[in-house]
Amino acid sequence: MRYTAIAGVVFIGLLSCQTRDPKFQQYFVEGEQLYLNNCSNCHHKDGKGLGRIYPPIAGSDYLGRPEAEIICLIKYGIRGEIVVNGTMYHQPMPGVPLLTELEIAEITTYIFNTWGQERGMITIPKVSAALDSCRRN
Amino acid sequence: MKEMKSNKNKIVYAAISISLVMVACTKPVEQLPILGQRTVSGTDTIYHTIAPFQFVDQDSALVNNATFKDKIYVADFFFTSCRTICPIMKTQMLRVYEATREMPDVLLLSHSIDPEFDTVALLHDFAARLDVTSDRWHFVTGVKDSIYKIAQTSYYATALEDKTEPDGFIHSGAFLLIDKQGRIRGKYDGTKEEDVNRLIADIKRLRQEKQINQ
Repeated sequence: MRYTAIAGVVFIGLLSCQTRDPKFQQYFVEGEQLYLNNCSNCHHKDGKGLGRIYPPIAGSDYLGRPEAEIICLIKYGIRGEIVVNGTMYHQPMPGVPLLTELEIAEITTYIFNTWGQERGMITIPKVSAALDSCRRN
Repeated sequence: MKEMKSNKNKIVYAAISISLVMVACTKPVEQLPILGQRTVSGTDTIYHTIAPFQFVDQDSALVNNATFKDKIYVADFFFTSCRTICPIMKTQMLRVYEATREMPDVLLLSHSIDPEFDTVALLHDFAARLDVTSDRWHFVTGVKDSIYKIAQTSYYATALEDKTEPDGFIHSGAFLLIDKQGRIRGKYDGTKEEDVNRLIADIKRLRQEKQINQ
């Protein structure tokens, strides 16, 4: 009886691990670290930004823009005015050109699947195609 | 008999020393240290103080030593386009701003170490976007060399231009606590929440301190 109960718990545990693809899990976990190292200084660990200087990512309507645009701004930065949740921001964001396609896939997988977002994995081919659209010489 | 007397003396001495130790340990509030070099002239000790300075803040007002007369203040060095430690420092300084909201004798002073880029207009916008005002938090710009010099010789904080750095500058994330006599009373890591908690506690202690050693 006791063994059956233990086996049951283990089985349920295994099932819940299976709900997410291990590759997704890996991207998400790596993406979180990359986010903490490259983005959280300004956008904060909780994604809420700072005042009207650094815009939020958590709960941001800007995430509704084309994914390619967001992938490009992570790599190459963005200048000029942008509007996030009705507020204008204009602090230039420097890009992180050293990020690889894999790393950008991991960061975007993280931000597109946290703070209420559930958009699944962002793959390397997707990042690759996005960067082709905005690659600078 | 003689031996007994000497034993009694020993006990008395022991009791006196124990009570002295106890008195020393229960001294009410210990004063914050006074940092920097000091010189003794006769019976007076002359402490290191912040040298004369004059900068311009986000509202184009002149900010100099007189601005901080009879005020405790917290100073730091940053620049608006910095993406490394400054955003964290500003988050932490904002906590100090909130914590000292009800303390009219406490001010904040953030110096730009990129004063050519950080103009009055830009600092004005930056402060407005943090929802802070110049009556309690001055963001100052001025002659670059004067800012670097005061950082290094008065506040003992590092601030240098270095083109090899990602953002073009080397600077420390230090917050300096300055008392009403212009003396440095504490140095804190402005990128660490716990250190800034200690700063907030020290500001309260400093406000309690009777103005001695003037």
